[in-house]
Amino acid sequence: MASDSSAQYIHTVQHLIEKCLTFDMSKEECMEALSKHANIQPVITSTVWKELEKENKEFFEAYTKKIEEKASELTETTQRLREILLDSSQKDTKDG
Amino acid sequence: MLAVSPLRSAKNDRESEMEGFTVEENGFLDFSGGNLLDSIDFDDLFMGINDGDLEMDSEILAEFSVSGGEESERNCTSAVSTDDSGKDDKVSVSVSASDLGSRSSSLINQGEEIVSKRDMGHATVNPSPEETHDSKGRKSSAQSKNPLGKRKVKVDWTPELHRRFVQAVEKLGVDKAVPSRILELMGIDCLTRHNIASHLQKYRSHRKHLLAREAEAANWSQRRQIYGAGSGTGKRDITPWIAPTMGFPPPAPMPHFRPLHVWGHPSVDQSFMHTWPKHLTPSPPPPQPPHAWPPPLHPLLPPPSADPSFWHSHHHVPTPGTPCFPPHMPPTTFPSPTVQGIAPTGMYRVDPVVGVPTMPPGQTLPEPPVDFHPNVDSIIGDVLSKPWLPLPLGLKPPSIDGVLVELQRQGISKIPPSCA
Repeated sequence: MASDSSAQYIHTVQHLIEKCLTFDMSKEECMEALSKHANIQPVITSTVWKELEKENKEFFEAYTKKIEEKASELTETTQRLREILLDSSQKDTKDG
Repeated sequence: MLAVSPLRSAKNDRESEMEGFTVEENGFLDFSGGNLLDSIDFDDLFMGINDGDLEMDSEILAEFSVSGGEESERNCTSAVSTDDSGKDDKVSVSVSASDLGSRSSSLINQGEEIVSKRDMGHATVNPSPEETHDSKGRKSSAQSKNPLGKRKVKVDWTPELHRRFVQAVEKLGVDKAVPSRILELMGIDCLTRHNIASHLQKYRSHRKHLLAREAEAANWSQRRQIYGAGSGTGKRDITPWIAPTMGFPPPAPMPHFRPLHVWGHPSVDQSFMHTWPKHLTPSPPPPQPPHAWPPPLHPLLPPPSADPSFWHSHHHVPTPGTPCFPPHMPPTTFPSPTVQGIAPTGMYRVDPVVGVPTMPPGQTLPEPPVDFHPNVDSIIGDVLSKPWLPLPLGLKPPSIDGVLVELQRQGISKIPPSCA
């Protein structure tokens, strides 16, 4: 039946989304990944994601917070690293 | 050598007066009756003490005789070990000071001081640790068997117990969770603070381990964006980095991604089985690497009706509308044109550059020119080929109708095989 396979499909998408969630991916990242690797249309991913969000509000709230924090931390760290490298490389060229 | 305990009542006729106070001794003090303290035969006490470097103060004596007057309402749960009986004149007295009147306890302490000084190699006495332990809820009876007061009662961390532990920790906040608070929240007497503390330590280290792995994996996608944003201006070093730091086995289907389950969730039985295997006896564990503490992502997740049976069985209770996919269900062939999309490469892409910031001078962080998702293919392939696998997080499924309706609004009818 169409509905069965739909249900199954949605379940699969949910499963994949959950996998992405274990990697702290954002919705967009997830959409991209699933589209690229599983040929799932981004709109489908996004819809299922949104519906999951509705059903699991608290989870997603906490989740969003978490990844935002991580992202900002990461950016910060990377930026600092770049600066350090830049610094050291400049010094080297000076001495060079 | 002589080990002397002033409190020693060698004979069990003492016991009626001193409950729980059992002394093991090659008794040479014979108390005929009366108070223990009265019965202390000071001559005997001093016997053989001569050669000791004992600070035998007269004060102590005074103490003894003065306190002799009180036979306390002592339920002395001091106990003496019964081992070593044949060997030495060894007296180990472990005293629960809280049970004793203060004078008696000081007496005992002093007495034990004597003992320890007298017979340092032998007598093992530790009044204070016992005192503190006692207040932690450890049963005195358990203590009474402790020769040294240092032996810990082995705690059996059942899933139920552990679940309560995790609940308590989550409530307090993992970083702020203090063993004594946890103990309170759990409200179980047979646990000591020490048990909790060590369990907490383990829990935390596993969590860190897991989060670190998660973070690492997530970083790949993050990194991609970041590198894409800041292109390297310097010369790019095109060395074929095979992402050694990742540590992902190349062709293998990434087994270690699977165990990232939420602790305590019904569908998690596979992963947490490994650390606490004794307690969980659901289906036989699949051949996954033992992965102790799946990311305890969210205490919110486990269904409010945290049914203990969830720990033990892998029964995903299907909510109406979700397809049922119990393990024994024959793998449904599902119209999966999507599978085509998964080149069964299994191999992760070896991208020319991985941006590990240890570059020779003159270079900035290079950018990986290609999308860097090492293992996504295998993960996804897994999910697609084995639809009966449990959901990693076990979120509440979306309403199917909701999804369908929404999609139709967007112009999509389900099952988009054709639109691949």
